[in-house]
Amino acid sequence: MKFKTLFIALFCMLSVFATHAKIEVDKPAPDFSLVNEKGETVTLSDHKGKYVILEWTNHLCPYVQKHYGSDNMQKLQEEYTGQDVVWLSVISSAPGKQGYVTAEESMALTEEREASPTHVLFDPEGDVGKMYSAKTTPHMYIIDPQGMLRYAGAIDSIKSANPADIARADNYVDLGMISLMAGQQVDKKLTAPYGCSIKYKS
Amino acid sequence: MLRTITMQIIRITFCIVLLCAQSLHAQSTQTSDPAFATGPHIEVGLVSEFKQLSIGENWLGVLLKPDPEWHTYWRNPGDSGEPPVVNWTLPEGVNAGKIEWPLPEAIRVAHLVNYGYNGDVLLMVPINIESAFFANNKSLEIQVDLSWLVCKEDCIPGWATLKKQIALGESPEKSEYHSLFEKTRERLPSKQLLSAKHEFTEQHIIVAITPPAKGDWQLFPFDSATIQHNAEQESVENEDGLSLVLKKSDYFAPASELHKSGIQFLLSNGKQGFYLTSELNSGAENSTSKPLIIVMLMAFAGGLILNLMPCVLPVLSIKALSLQNTQQPIMTKLAYAVGVILSFNLFAVLIIALKFSGDAVGWGFHMQSPWVIAVLSYLFVYIALTLFDIAPAGEKLAGLGQGFIKGDGFTSQFATGVLAVIVASPCTAPFMAAALGVALVSEPIITIVLFTSLALGFALPMTLLFWLPKLTRKIPKPGPWMVTFRQFFAFPMLGTVIWLVWVYQSQLGSLAQLLLLTGLLIFSLAIWLLSKVVKTIPVTLSLALLVAAIAIPIFDQNQQSAGVSQTNNTGAGQTFSKGKLAELKAGNNVVFVNMTADWCITCKVNEQVALNSSELDNVLSKSDVHYLVGDWTNKNQEILDYLQIYQRAGVPLYVVYSGESGYQVLPQILTTEIVINAIEKALGEIQNEI
Repeated sequence: MKFKTLFIALFCMLSVFATHAKIEVDKPAPDFSLVNEKGETVTLSDHKGKYVILEWTNHLCPYVQKHYGSDNMQKLQEEYTGQDVVWLSVISSAPGKQGYVTAEESMALTEEREASPTHVLFDPEGDVGKMYSAKTTPHMYIIDPQGMLRYAGAIDSIKSANPADIARADNYVDLGMISLMAGQQVDKKLTAPYGCSIKYKS
Repeated sequence: MLRTITMQIIRITFCIVLLCAQSLHAQSTQTSDPAFATGPHIEVGLVSEFKQLSIGENWLGVLLKPDPEWHTYWRNPGDSGEPPVVNWTLPEGVNAGKIEWPLPEAIRVAHLVNYGYNGDVLLMVPINIESAFFANNKSLEIQVDLSWLVCKEDCIPGWATLKKQIALGESPEKSEYHSLFEKTRERLPSKQLLSAKHEFTEQHIIVAITPPAKGDWQLFPFDSATIQHNAEQESVENEDGLSLVLKKSDYFAPASELHKSGIQFLLSNGKQGFYLTSELNSGAENSTSKPLIIVMLMAFAGGLILNLMPCVLPVLSIKALSLQNTQQPIMTKLAYAVGVILSFNLFAVLIIALKFSGDAVGWGFHMQSPWVIAVLSYLFVYIALTLFDIAPAGEKLAGLGQGFIKGDGFTSQFATGVLAVIVASPCTAPFMAAALGVALVSEPIITIVLFTSLALGFALPMTLLFWLPKLTRKIPKPGPWMVTFRQFFAFPMLGTVIWLVWVYQSQLGSLAQLLLLTGLLIFSLAIWLLSKVVKTIPVTLSLALLVAAIAIPIFDQNQQSAGVSQTNNTGAGQTFSKGKLAELKAGNNVVFVNMTADWCITCKVNEQVALNSSELDNVLSKSDVHYLVGDWTNKNQEILDYLQIYQRAGVPLYVVYSGESGYQVLPQILTTEIVINAIEKALGEIQNEI
């Protein structure tokens, strides 16, 4: 079992180099395995058959705080995990950099913020982040039950750190999920993300 | 624990923010001067160049003074971040202009790039005071709502409202910030606006600019979803200026309004800067990029060289050698040229007509039709037989045979011209392809002009011979040696037949080839019979044989025309398709494209002489080198489209791509070295890019 994990992790690393970090909407989402806050290995392809939402996060980033401080992110998590959607919060901050947390700290954060991600995943090497060309926190992705990437980009339409803008903005994740669940195409499939840069190792 | 408290504070702050928009500036603390405020890691202020403001343009500025190593952002912050936002509250009669952004720096954060300012920056804004306001007021109350993001690696947003009361006066005094404004002006982009042209490839935007000076120029797009900010901007110098190869942003939307009306950039070398608007370089402008006169000269040169091609040379040499009578009327002397020009123009008209009917045509297009191949085989066999002196001796038929090549009259000269064009039609000469390429994508009138230039070049050598007795005298006197010479020239003609039959085979298969060969044999027999026995019963027999000879392949074509077989003589290469090429280019591979056809002799020669080499095979077998072969033996729209991209109307065409970043079009006559050098140069280019 360990070998398998190692193999998958290795494969993922290799595929990072091979694919030149290019994400494409309406193409199969690249598979990955990362360890969650409970020390378990979570593999994307294990969730085939369900919608998966990826959220790159860094709890100290003002743009992330904009959406957590206003309960905007928690509401989204609650609404969609309640409909059997898998919500993966990914932390690509490298050790020693802003947003890097241990498993205990992440559980404390989840509890304190009343957040409800399915898993919090740690990507300290930044491989999965680069594989998805994740640039900012927050940076959001929607993967459909067939494993196709259906949305990549900003959480909403107003690029600011000001929580007052949330109410006026179009939430791209919410709109994307509504369209997909109604069997329609996502209107805006790819948007430029905004926020803090992800504190990658390199 | 501390973190928990911080979180709590932030949450409370946000709640307040949500409840009451006025408390937005809670994050910054107002200093004693309401024109200044401090936030975490930054001090901000509203300053004026002069102590008093007067009628017209005045300069105010928002000063951002972050802590050492902290930075703020340019109008496009790059991969992350946010530009400062300034909202003015001004009385009627006073207007604020836009921020004059100083030249930004590219700030690297891990593998991402931001555009902004390390250290202090003054964002200058022009404030215009109307004369009525000036006349009625003694001072101006200015309020600015400012928001910013200040980052080191971590980012802190801030908001502040800055207020300033400034007196109005006719002769303003410099303020303590005057020198800062002067210094900032040196960091502003030039007032001179530049223009540029860009093209898109699948992954890149290539912007062609004419920078005002040499230097290490870089483009900063206004919009954050235009280019990948962290990708190296490769610059290629060329005669017209500079081309910068920019990697397209993952979020690039070519259809967006922003890109339709032109992409806006700042061009900067760190010291100087210029704003520029780049417009899409449309293909139409490309095709007229070479002056018409140059293309005409190329066509003319191509026509001249065409005389030396193996399919033409024998016919014309025999004609030249058989010249005896130079005392002819002018019209007869010109007959050959007239024949050539008319035939070429007929060709041009045919091509124009086919183009209008939406058919895919190019030079040599007629060779894609098995009918034409068969007819040409009969013609070349007939010429060969004539050269062997096996030709019908009958009065009427003799006109066809001897007259074509040997006669001196107007009709025969004219016919020689027509024949020369027909036998030349399977051949292409250097320079010709490029010129014909332009001809085929241009307007009809230009097509005609270029075909005429080609015809003039082609007709020139023979016409000179007819015209200048001096030259004719240089030609050896006819004698018995002529017979040997003429018979010798029958062999290149038969060689051409071998090739035609082989092309026919690849078009219709081996059974069709057998039938064509049988037809040719019976045809030869018939001609031979006609030459031997005149005015006796065998004439009827011969004619019957002739009909049979021609009918056999026709019958066969009707049977087989549906099942045209595609040949694959590509050797190590993979079959060309547009999709495959795009895919390989996107994967940053070196791709060698060979556009060929079985009926293209130059192609076949190149394949044998230059491409059939173990050295080249080694280069082609490298993992990031790919060899694609497009076979144009039969009609193929995809290949025609491809040829037209390179303004070619026919094969061969050899192109070496270095990923998305560039390509080299190789000459039509190849050597192994040319190909290997081109591929190695391309390999160097893709490695530089990584």
